[in-house]
Amino acid sequence: MRKSIRRGATLALASVAAISLAACSTNGSSGSGGDSVKSIKVVIAEYSPDNTAKFWKAFAKTYEETTKVKLDLQIISWNDIDQQSSTMVQTNNLPDILNLNTYASYAADGLLYSGDEVLPKDTAEDIIPAFVNSGTYKGKFYGMPDLSSARALFYNKDLFSQAGIAKPPTTWDEFRDDAKKVTALGNGAVGYAQPLGPEEAQGELAMWLFNNGGTFKKDGKWTLDSPENVKTLEFMKGLSVTDGVTQNNPGSTNRTDGAFPLFEQGKAGMIVGFGPLQGALDKDFTGVNYGIAPMPSGNKADPQTYGVTDYLMAFKKKGNQDAVKQFYKLYYSPDQINTWIKAEGFLPVTQSGLKSFESEDKLKVYLDTLPNIHLTPTDDPEWDKVKLTIQQNIGLAVAPDGDPAKFLKDLQAQAEAGK
Amino acid sequence: MARVLTDAPSGTRLAPARAPKPSIGGRASGPAPSSRRGRRRGANEASGWQALLWLSPALLLIAAIVIYPAITLFSTSFSEYSITGIRKGDAGFANYAGFLSSPDLPKVVLNTGIWVVAVVAITILIGLALAQFLSKDFWGRRVVRWAVIVPWAAALVITSQLFRLLFDYYHGTINAVLLALHVIPKPIDFLGNPPLLMASMILVGVYVSLPFTAYLFVAGLSAIPTDVYEAARIDGASPWQIYTTITLPLLRPAMLIAVVLNMIYVFNSFPIIWIMNGSNPGFGNDTLITYMYKIAFKSAQHDVGVAAAAGVFNVIVILIAVIVYVRLTRTRAENPS
Repeated sequence: MRKSIRRGATLALASVAAISLAACSTNGSSGSGGDSVKSIKVVIAEYSPDNTAKFWKAFAKTYEETTKVKLDLQIISWNDIDQQSSTMVQTNNLPDILNLNTYASYAADGLLYSGDEVLPKDTAEDIIPAFVNSGTYKGKFYGMPDLSSARALFYNKDLFSQAGIAKPPTTWDEFRDDAKKVTALGNGAVGYAQPLGPEEAQGELAMWLFNNGGTFKKDGKWTLDSPENVKTLEFMKGLSVTDGVTQNNPGSTNRTDGAFPLFEQGKAGMIVGFGPLQGALDKDFTGVNYGIAPMPSGNKADPQTYGVTDYLMAFKKKGNQDAVKQFYKLYYSPDQINTWIKAEGFLPVTQSGLKSFESEDKLKVYLDTLPNIHLTPTDDPEWDKVKLTIQQNIGLAVAPDGDPAKFLKDLQAQAEAGK
Repeated sequence: MARVLTDAPSGTRLAPARAPKPSIGGRASGPAPSSRRGRRRGANEASGWQALLWLSPALLLIAAIVIYPAITLFSTSFSEYSITGIRKGDAGFANYAGFLSSPDLPKVVLNTGIWVVAVVAITILIGLALAQFLSKDFWGRRVVRWAVIVPWAAALVITSQLFRLLFDYYHGTINAVLLALHVIPKPIDFLGNPPLLMASMILVGVYVSLPFTAYLFVAGLSAIPTDVYEAARIDGASPWQIYTTITLPLLRPAMLIAVVLNMIYVFNSFPIIWIMNGSNPGFGNDTLITYMYKIAFKSAQHDVGVAAAAGVFNVIVILIAVIVYVRLTRTRAENPS
């Protein structure tokens, strides 16, 4: 009895120790002290379940072998990464490298290394200038791009020929007529799959905006409620409300679980797509006979392309500068970055990448436009909030009782108030 | 429950009405055993620090997972945060003011009220019926009892996702069946039309709350002694009379627990609303819990300070709701009209 009590006491003591230890260890790598860190924490967003973990695990191994610094890898789904990264900052449990679709707010809060501090010179020069621009906040390069994608109009050739349409539309009027013809086929056919739910609505808006001569921000001023933009959003609303050529309730349709499946099942005539959709169509939905065309234009100008890039930003922490520099050096080496981008079906962000991707016919549509791509104003911290408002509220603006002009006016007011 | 046994045969209506006391007393009786332990400790000469050592794992755990987060939530709600999560300074009551003056709040509170009241009320009603059924002896009862547990055992996220697939406009099974049977000319937008969405979410809420509630009532029913029923039958009471004057009053302790726990669970339920409402814009279908999450990470506010204020507000709301309910049932139990 005595013995078991004493053993129990030891157990109790041990668990006290375990709990307090666990509490301490949340400080993580920052506690390693000394001149330079022994490990870095790298937080990566999951682009696809198949490739992301595979590439980064191999990358971590190579990194550890060359630098003798441990790489703690954490892969987080896009759904959770906003919450997780915010919690890391809030609890002062910063990663060394964070992969996200925004960076400017972090730069504004003074948390990041700039390119001068952590990018090897030849690497910095290799990055395509358009992306350097979008990664530059107040004259310094903070948002190192990890990969990019560009959008284009995907169309279903079978539905087009059934509807008697010879070629993809080049103007918005043609676009609407073609969408009407496809919808008229009946049997569940949808002229245009329009995702304006909260997932990625800013992308859909950007694509149409840029092809009607509009922008989000011009010469340092927000232009969200410009007359072109109001006309564009009214056209987008009209597609569902007056013309009835979209799927049911576009404001409540997300991209990956709503609009893409319609196209992948051959139900949608047209959709704005990008590399990963193309990959899925070629691999899993081979029954869909599709073509890719530039976006139709609303103002008789040349088609414009909307591009997206995500970022790998580096957090300033004591003693990690060298390890972070080594990280970028390895990441931007052609056999790392290009392997990764090819596997995920995205587009390069470096000049050397452009050259190495040139031979891929599939990508020609995008690559030609890449250097002149339109990006969203990710270099303005206010954009991070504007984007969230678009995602949450544009679906209400394009509903039958929605008011596109008022939505854009409120958005403009919000952006300007942030200054 | 033992006291119910001795009280009940007296057969008056007052006796069962007093029945909830043991359960309320059961909770309040916490201090009693500890004081008894205190006396024994004195006899055994076990010192205070030794007792503390024994309690320390539990105390540390409670401090780490209950008290520390609560304090953090509270202090967060009075701090100003940047969108990245950096603390910028004290906010005073600005976060609370910002949250309470939000134009979406009235609708969100209304949604929360409808959601909690509807799910809890329907769950209790069906749970009572189901418990009657499950406590009868019939062939295959064991299979049925197991089947009822399934919705409880499945992860909420998975259940919600499954229901989302069932209700989907283009690919949903329910619409496919209704269309094939020519009941409807075109699919029903269960997930995109606000009233239908609320009804669909309530259905899922009831579905996942039923097992726990029904089993609570099964346990409550099995604690009612059979001689009370015999006495009532001899007196010539009809089955409905027996149910309303004997079964229901004697189930009151179980009922109190079922309502209070369900209120808390349903109020705090996140996955069902988050997933079923996942593709809708705005905040018109959110409850306080999902709204709080959106304030923190998804809305243009993207502000953990305001979200923490919302969190404190939520705790107060559910506390008040529970206290009001317990008070109401207690006064009704003490002065049966």
